[in-house]
Amino acid sequence: MFDLFLSGLQIVLTPSTFLLILAGTVVGVIFGAMPGVSASMAVALALPFAYAMNPVIAIAFLVSVYCASITGGGITAILFKIPGTPSSAPTTFDGYPMAQRGEAGKALGYSLVASAFGGLVAAFAMALVSPQLASVALKFGPSELFAVSFLGLSVLSSLDSGNLIKTLISGLLGLLLACIGLDPMLGVPRLTWGSSTLSSGVEMIPVMIGLFAVTEVLKQTGKQKVKTEEEKEADEKGTKFKTNIPGFKEFWKVKFVMIRSSIIGTIVGILPGAGATIASFLSYTVEKKISKHSDQFGTGIPDGIVASEAANNAATGGSMVPLLSLGIPGGNAAAIMMSALVLKGVQVGPLLVRTQPEYLASVFGSMLITNIIMVIVSLMVARIFAKILAIPYSILGPVIIMLAMIGSFALKNGTGDVILMAFAGILGYFFVKMKFTPAALVLGLVLGQMCESNLRRAYTLTNGNMVKVFTNPITAVIMTACVIMLVYPLIKGLLGKKKAE
Amino acid sequence: MLLELIFNVVLFIFSIYAYVLVGITSPAATATELGAAFWPRIILVLLAILVAVNIFNIWKKGKAEGNLKFESSEITSFFKSKIFIGMVMVIVMAFVLEYAGFMLTTCIFIMAYGRLLGQKSPVKLILSGVIATVVLYVIFQGALDIMLPRGYGFLRDFALMVETLLPF
Repeated sequence: MFDLFLSGLQIVLTPSTFLLILAGTVVGVIFGAMPGVSASMAVALALPFAYAMNPVIAIAFLVSVYCASITGGGITAILFKIPGTPSSAPTTFDGYPMAQRGEAGKALGYSLVASAFGGLVAAFAMALVSPQLASVALKFGPSELFAVSFLGLSVLSSLDSGNLIKTLISGLLGLLLACIGLDPMLGVPRLTWGSSTLSSGVEMIPVMIGLFAVTEVLKQTGKQKVKTEEEKEADEKGTKFKTNIPGFKEFWKVKFVMIRSSIIGTIVGILPGAGATIASFLSYTVEKKISKHSDQFGTGIPDGIVASEAANNAATGGSMVPLLSLGIPGGNAAAIMMSALVLKGVQVGPLLVRTQPEYLASVFGSMLITNIIMVIVSLMVARIFAKILAIPYSILGPVIIMLAMIGSFALKNGTGDVILMAFAGILGYFFVKMKFTPAALVLGLVLGQMCESNLRRAYTLTNGNMVKVFTNPITAVIMTACVIMLVYPLIKGLLGKKKAE
Repeated sequence: MLLELIFNVVLFIFSIYAYVLVGITSPAATATELGAAFWPRIILVLLAILVAVNIFNIWKKGKAEGNLKFESSEITSFFKSKIFIGMVMVIVMAFVLEYAGFMLTTCIFIMAYGRLLGQKSPVKLILSGVIATVVLYVIFQGALDIMLPRGYGFLRDFALMVETLLPF
């Protein structure tokens, strides 16, 4: 471990590599903060630069872009309620209300430090137990992955416990939207009504951007009126951005949230196909479930930001585990990094770590350095972004919609996703008005296909034996955890009532 | 409350319709394959049940509070509201984008929406529209190489000409 640490630092602290990692961090944070430029897109955009580098340095550079872009996604999530990357969606729940109260700097401080902490925990986990973790992840077949995605869905019951039925309806609508398009196993069109646009399915990014960003601008459109002196003062407070990193005492209060979320993020990140988005949603909900002040989640509390950001950054480290130990990319970004290595003639596979340990050392070193310098870089980028908050809303509002439009368009270079975003924004407005939960719809859309395809694959692999699918040991344990998570709010409510009596 | 009731009833009817449709249009399940209709049908059944419960709750609450009556003034005031105009503008922008191209759509949309949000100075509206369009265009089309829509006809020619001027 110590050797790996030293060798990692030796690689990344050579002046040229350090500068490349610094550049990768800056580029990553900026790309991540751009709506619609996902972490994998950021890595893809950085790929041409990596081709010209030595493979060991190239992987360190790409890792820095990847880690930083996930963190950058939190900046716009907090300041404008536009998640820069899908994994930052839960950050909006508490980050945006804090920014609205004039605590944008504090919210960003929590977000950045939690991201760095999550990233560092994942880096150490990767360095320490990479082969062991990867072999555990290999035991996760379709039935286990179905259980993991179902665990993500069990989050629904606590997203808005005050409106359980409406939250579940929202989640089911998300799952239904995920069914539109070609069936994942047989390739037959489902609920497409003969439309070729619908055949390619409902993309998550336009729906998410529409539900969060466009809906927010529409809400503000209805609220625009002559402002009182008090409101003007509050606005001014909101636009004055201070680099207000919370103190040690404040972080001490959320230490367990940070540790738990980092562990959840690392584990979820290792699982193939899961990734940072599921990690952040799952971690947010776990914290909401076990917190003593769960009713304050969503009103702008640090715990919510820390849970989401620590988990999504930890997932980046997690996703490197199967890539380096087994040569299996855990997600899109890891697959792009693998393609860069393969192009350089590197044999990616189980022998890579044993025969060429410098790759693991390089990734480890890059993650350590990136997660530290990322805090400083992000604060500088956030300051620039925060200046935008000072622009009058009559300019900022339409610009936010146009940013959302570009984010949706960039996905497939087509206006179909822009139309989808526009309708999602309007649906989101009525959703909020009728007290449904847009976040639950997004979660259903994220997990829908993973849930369905793994369940069907598991059923086929067990020759049509549904009992066998669910009695698999790992699946059974995770499904039990799902039941506990679903039933816990009811028991907690009943116990509360009894206590009150 | 009435709007919510209508929304839920429509959703309930849609769930049943989609349940039937997905069953008709999907190939049948086999002994080892659950079939394309299996998962959507589970979702639709759960959705229909929950929506039915929700309709009952709304009906019960509405009856107790007496606010299930149809009030035309509420609907007409919504259609005259800024929110409705904003929704129409967003939809129009999304549909026009392909034909009018990024530059013209963005510039007009920012000016029009800015007016809706209360900005009355025409100079400020024009300046904000033009500056924001240029900044967004340079960042995304130039630096990030995202091929933004060019539009058709002379708008396309204009966009192609501008692209040659970009420093990236």
